[in-house]
Amino acid sequence: MAEEFLVATDLHKSFNEHKAVDGVSFTIHKGEIFGLLGPNGAGKTTTIRMLATVLEPDKGDVTIGGHSIKHDADSVRALIGVCPQELALYEDLSALDNMVFFGRMVGLDGKEAKEQAQKHLKMMGLEKRAKGRVAKFSGGMKRRINLAIALMGHPELLFLDEPTVGIDPQSRNNIYETIEGLRDGGMTILYTTHYMEEANRLCHRVAIIDGGKIIALDTPHNLKKKIGPPDKVTLEDVFLKLTGRSLRD
Amino acid sequence: MQDKADLAFSLLLPIVIFALMYFAFGGASLFHGTAHVVNEDEGGAYSTVLLDQLEAIEEVDVELLTAEDADQKLANSDLLMVIYIPEDFSQNLAAGEPAQLLFKQRGNGGDEGQIVASLVRGVAEQINLQFQVYNEVNLALAEYDVPQENINITVEQYLDQERQSPTVAVHEETIGSNPDPVNLFLPGVVTMFVLFAITISARAIVEERRKGTLERLLTTRLSVGELFFGKFLSNISRGFVQTLILLALAYIVFQIFTPLTFIECLVIALIFAAAASALGMVIAAVARSEDSATWIAVFFTMVMVMLGGTFFEIGKGSVLYTISQFSINTYANDAFKTLIAEGGSLGDLGLELGVLAGVAVVGLILSRILFKVMPGGK
Repeated sequence: MAEEFLVATDLHKSFNEHKAVDGVSFTIHKGEIFGLLGPNGAGKTTTIRMLATVLEPDKGDVTIGGHSIKHDADSVRALIGVCPQELALYEDLSALDNMVFFGRMVGLDGKEAKEQAQKHLKMMGLEKRAKGRVAKFSGGMKRRINLAIALMGHPELLFLDEPTVGIDPQSRNNIYETIEGLRDGGMTILYTTHYMEEANRLCHRVAIIDGGKIIALDTPHNLKKKIGPPDKVTLEDVFLKLTGRSLRD
Repeated sequence: MQDKADLAFSLLLPIVIFALMYFAFGGASLFHGTAHVVNEDEGGAYSTVLLDQLEAIEEVDVELLTAEDADQKLANSDLLMVIYIPEDFSQNLAAGEPAQLLFKQRGNGGDEGQIVASLVRGVAEQINLQFQVYNEVNLALAEYDVPQENINITVEQYLDQERQSPTVAVHEETIGSNPDPVNLFLPGVVTMFVLFAITISARAIVEERRKGTLERLLTTRLSVGELFFGKFLSNISRGFVQTLILLALAYIVFQIFTPLTFIECLVIALIFAAAASALGMVIAAVARSEDSATWIAVFFTMVMVMLGGTFFEIGKGSVLYTISQFSINTYANDAFKTLIAEGGSLGDLGLELGVLAGVAVVGLILSRILFKVMPGGK
């Protein structure tokens, strides 16, 4: 078993009276893709925000690479890359300028930032549009830039919060291939998605979260086995069985 | 400043505003009026001299009208004063008879009319004196056989000499800088630039918060404090650089201040930009959307511009004057006016500097307390 790279222990976070995350604990091993699945409002994004040091937990702690998010957030931020659910881009800048800017913010010098930006743009199939304004890009292209920015500075742990939402199959496939390439290169990834086939394809293990609590955590195969023959049951069946069929807002 | 076009526009705007100021006020004195003249002595030697001397006055343009046109315009109140040169003006003067100019006016002729009339009286008086000198010399030399041409040349030389070095000379000494229109309007234009930057910066920060770029920046090596001060400094830079361009152009083109005054103006501009940026950060911290940030900033900016003496002076002792003391624009405007229009120095601006620096510090502390990268977060 690879070393534990991320250890989340009893995380709690409330907004006013609402408990968004209620006692979440899990570990992610080095080189693992860990899926965090859950319906809308389940607490996925709040959990990622705490792991990424943007939100402070009300209770509990997380260590990443041995550094506590509470006591050594700077060291944690040096290890992570975040691809947020929103397209957090400067639309008036070019793709290259966006990447170089965020590269500089993670501590790269100008030359290094440009080199990495060009490499990642090529990986995302966007090298020909490097100097194009992001505002003119399609949704799929923006998603790919959003992910490429998270790779600047070669983080050891990548948080991908629904990176494929609302894009065309070609862009989605490009992102899958990129993530598989990163996995093969040994990168550790925390992945959230609503698409169960994505989690089944990419993740070594998945946690299903609902109402701020983790209600199941195992490999996709083992989760499926719990409700039927794994070759006949899908991860979506597991998800619906565990979280119910009622609509979530 | 993310957009290159936005950056270019920000730098170009003060240049455009300066160009407008230059064409509006460049080289102009505080007064500029038009003498509306009906010349019924067309071609007359003395009416021509009178008109030439009027046109030589820098502050006055001469517009020639027909008598019918002038009467009509006076009747319609399109003009308040018209100067009539009667038909026999030159003829009477040549004959040694008195000649009269006629000023027709509605009411008191208006401020401009009165000033123009006064200038015309001055010119007429000068012509009168010249004429008297010619007459007296001619009379004195009548018994001698001196050619008229020689008399004319000698008298003209004497008059020229008198014009160059008058017996009673008037020397004008201005205390402080010239009360030039540029001096009077420049402080208001400068402070408006800085104040409008509040709107842009407050909106930009709220937009970044909504789009998630601020949150994303927090996952890099930046701390909330660094992010906050980075935004604050970028806001100061925008306001200060625009002000620097305006003041530098005014310094180079109009030469309205000394190098020391120029530097003192930059110090005021920097402190004012800091105070305005701090207010922009407070608005960005409390606004929930880009639109609310814009409207809050526009409201405060407009109130501060109106009350700060940009467009009109507010008399001491009035309620408005008391309210205006709560506008940072008042102190910035006063400071710039003291330096630019009154020839003062930073040493005269203790109150203004104190208030602007105080607002910058208090605003910065308040906004840092209120500032959140994301609701419920850091």
